[in-house]
Amino acid sequence: MAGLVTTFGAGAMTNSIGEIRDADFLFVIGSNTTEAHPIIAMEMKRAVKRGATLVVADPRSIWLTSMAERHLKLRPGTDIWLLNAMANVIVTEELYDEDFVAHNTEGFEAVAETVRAYTPEAAEQVTGVPAEEIRATARQYATTRKAGIYYTLGITEHSHGTDNVYALANLVLMTGHLGHASCGMNPLRGQNNVQGANDAGATPVFLPGYQRVDDPAVLAKYQASWGVELDPTPGLNLNEMMKVAGTQLKGFFVMGEDILLSEPNVAHLEEGLNGIEFLVLQDIFLNETARFADVILPAACFAEKDGVFTNSERRVQRVRKGVEPPGEARADWEILQDLARLCGADWDYGDPAEIYAEMVKDAPKFAGISHARIEREGGIQWPCASPDEPGTTFLHEGGILRGKGLFTPVDYRPSMELEDSEYPLLLSTGRTLYHYNSATQTRREQGAGFKQPEAYVELHPKDAGRRGIADGDLVELLTRRGNLRCRALISRQVRRGCIWMPFHFAEARANLLTNDVGDAVTGTAEYKVCAAEVKRLSEQPAPVAFRGSYYAVEGPGPGKVDELPMAPVSAADPGD
Amino acid sequence: MTQPQTLTLNGRELAFAPGETVLEVAQRAGSFIPTLCHDPRLAPAGACRTCLVEIEGWRRMAPACATPATAGMAITSESGRIDRHRKSLMALYLADHPEGFVGSELGAPDQVYQLAERYAAPTDWPRMDNIRAGRPLDENPYILFDATKCIACARCTRYCDEVEAVTAITLAGRGSQTTIATVDNLSLLDTTCEMCGGCIDTCPTGAMAEKIPLLTAARPERELTKVRTTCNYCGVGCQMDLNIDPEGNGGRGKVVKITSPAPGTTTNDGNLCVKGRFAYDFIDHEDRLTTPLVRGADGQLQPASWSEALQRAAEGLLGVAERHGKDALGFISSSRCTVEENYLVQKMARAVFGTNHVHQCAAT
Repeated sequence: MAGLVTTFGAGAMTNSIGEIRDADFLFVIGSNTTEAHPIIAMEMKRAVKRGATLVVADPRSIWLTSMAERHLKLRPGTDIWLLNAMANVIVTEELYDEDFVAHNTEGFEAVAETVRAYTPEAAEQVTGVPAEEIRATARQYATTRKAGIYYTLGITEHSHGTDNVYALANLVLMTGHLGHASCGMNPLRGQNNVQGANDAGATPVFLPGYQRVDDPAVLAKYQASWGVELDPTPGLNLNEMMKVAGTQLKGFFVMGEDILLSEPNVAHLEEGLNGIEFLVLQDIFLNETARFADVILPAACFAEKDGVFTNSERRVQRVRKGVEPPGEARADWEILQDLARLCGADWDYGDPAEIYAEMVKDAPKFAGISHARIEREGGIQWPCASPDEPGTTFLHEGGILRGKGLFTPVDYRPSMELEDSEYPLLLSTGRTLYHYNSATQTRREQGAGFKQPEAYVELHPKDAGRRGIADGDLVELLTRRGNLRCRALISRQVRRGCIWMPFHFAEARANLLTNDVGDAVTGTAEYKVCAAEVKRLSEQPAPVAFRGSYYAVEGPGPGKVDELPMAPVSAADPGD
Repeated sequence: MTQPQTLTLNGRELAFAPGETVLEVAQRAGSFIPTLCHDPRLAPAGACRTCLVEIEGWRRMAPACATPATAGMAITSESGRIDRHRKSLMALYLADHPEGFVGSELGAPDQVYQLAERYAAPTDWPRMDNIRAGRPLDENPYILFDATKCIACARCTRYCDEVEAVTAITLAGRGSQTTIATVDNLSLLDTTCEMCGGCIDTCPTGAMAEKIPLLTAARPERELTKVRTTCNYCGVGCQMDLNIDPEGNGGRGKVVKITSPAPGTTTNDGNLCVKGRFAYDFIDHEDRLTTPLVRGADGQLQPASWSEALQRAAEGLLGVAERHGKDALGFISSSRCTVEENYLVQKMARAVFGTNHVHQCAAT
């Protein structure tokens, strides 16, 4: 998001979900869309069936690659090489939009200079993606008007995540794929209200509506509205907070997050939490973090309260109360109000509509939106500055929000931890269709239990064979930060030398393994690349079934591995 | 520019856009033509023959869903001939459908029965010997296939193919044995099925249905209340309807089913995924926190009253700020909670405690 704000002046999907079906070229990078955003994937499928070209860039074969024209199966963490090489092709073959670059952007020369060294041939050496495929993708992207980029955490969850975003934005700016339908730069949000939480100012740098806390005019406005002195120094981001838990930070208020399951390098975090003095937790279930909590406040879930969520395409939509919360549980906003009053505030909100009205009063981007209006019209997409405006389907129509789009030259920096003789595999983590985040909700669901009953790691057949690991074996997974046990799923979806694991399972917390080195700008941790090793355990429990797994070697179906011939491994195997 | 093209429907002149079908023009004009196999998300199939209309100069009636509108077309959608056709067609469907309006109380309304009633179709036609095969042993937890109610309109298989694109189910067999099958009659769990439940959503008769609500004997459909809300999983923001048994859970209400709004009305276009449609058991799970907890002197969490817990929380946070300064506090908000709640957390951090140490897990 920080990258997007710098480049375009707004941190959100530039275009809308409904426009995807009309796109002619889709570049999906670092997004397993069918599993993480199934409904957006349906729009992509619809576009492809209509005749659009889909190119997927991902270290892993994902469902979408089966319908893609091209799959750029790059080595994890080498995105900058791939993207800069695409820019190199666009610059050297003069495929960029001269007019758009001249009138709507600044800094093009610097990027053109930087990408000169990133030839497709050199990129092939680093990324493993053939130079001709990079060329073809760059040409198609640059010469198709309705060409959209779609990405998620495969781009941002790196120590160079913000650089990745800049590299993508450079492509968008040089081709002018901005300001009309079915194009743009589209981060797909992982959680229901990621967009809304950022919109609302739950960030150390921004007050509501992306207004900086260190902007004196903004600060003065909020000091007047709230009637208190405010601190003009940006605070610590989440990654930084986790690192100084117990040292600089002695008390926490945590709402609706299991930091011990979700944050990287949790062993270090646990140590830190032992040194804190006080922690309040507000949630719907007891979670791992509860072990460190002094007070736990039971909250209502989405079906039990009113409010709004803002989706990936900036659409503000109502959440409506359908049932009463169980026992004494209460809506988070009611609890927050009571707590704030006990701490000296004079809050007196009657309902969420009043809170929303207060928020938009000082945040021009949302000023035209209200609960009453959503009730009448359905969801409204910001920016929407006044009640007479319809909202905004795609951004930057008739000019980029920040005035001129800012090119940012970026150079490749290797991921912070690469494979070596001791830890020869590269581990990435991610989501699956059947579970959700820390799975406090979906593991209480029987369907998910049938499809993915236990934690697992995907392993290439060759890497498995060398270690004597068979499909379904219980293995130990080790990194420099910790180890855990899970099932091995032998899969050709991962590159050789790479392994992949979902992060949903509390008994095999992938984040015991991941690296907490953060992106320099956002603090987002490097969940997507770290060095690891897998070992078969000598004692094997009873097998479990992962039914109909799309990613297993033998594909969906009830067959067992030993009943089906393994794909022959020939000398010409490209080593994927 | 060419002049907008027009046709007439029951004498009314209507403009249409190139590529529109007769059914689309009629629906846009608010004129009802019955359909069973039509779903705007799917390519027209013209399979159920319910939407037949008369077109001037055409000897045979034509399916409105699969007939492209052309300039000057004169269409009749209500006439004695059409009415006779609808009556006998529905009588045929009834002869191949469970007798006595079975199961119409639970689950989505069966449109065969509805249309049969609407057109007063005879119910005494000789019954077909229905030997359509089901998959009674499919132990998937969500999707029930009741072969007796299937009319082989192929909405579910076309949806699975054209929209979800996993092609887990297919038409199999011939004639009255035509059924909805999987490869080798496997359980849906063992196929490419992703359990999106789109087959349920598109099914016009309830042959594809939500297994859990039906098997746990939920209330009749008409006694459920629907509340439109936004899904709480990923960032797509699908709109969904909570189907609530108002008397469930001892009167506090129970979500017994989740359905999607009609296609074309919201961002998700009538679609939902496995989590959105089916993963709602957590709402009433016994592990839900139902009372505040406070850690006692013995180090154990003990149930407490709200006033006690809130007092303790306030004192704890204020105490840290007093001893170590305001910037010794960290506020972690949640992208799972509402905008309003996130606003309040950051306002609490900034305006009440004076720190900008506020963030949530998703700021990239």
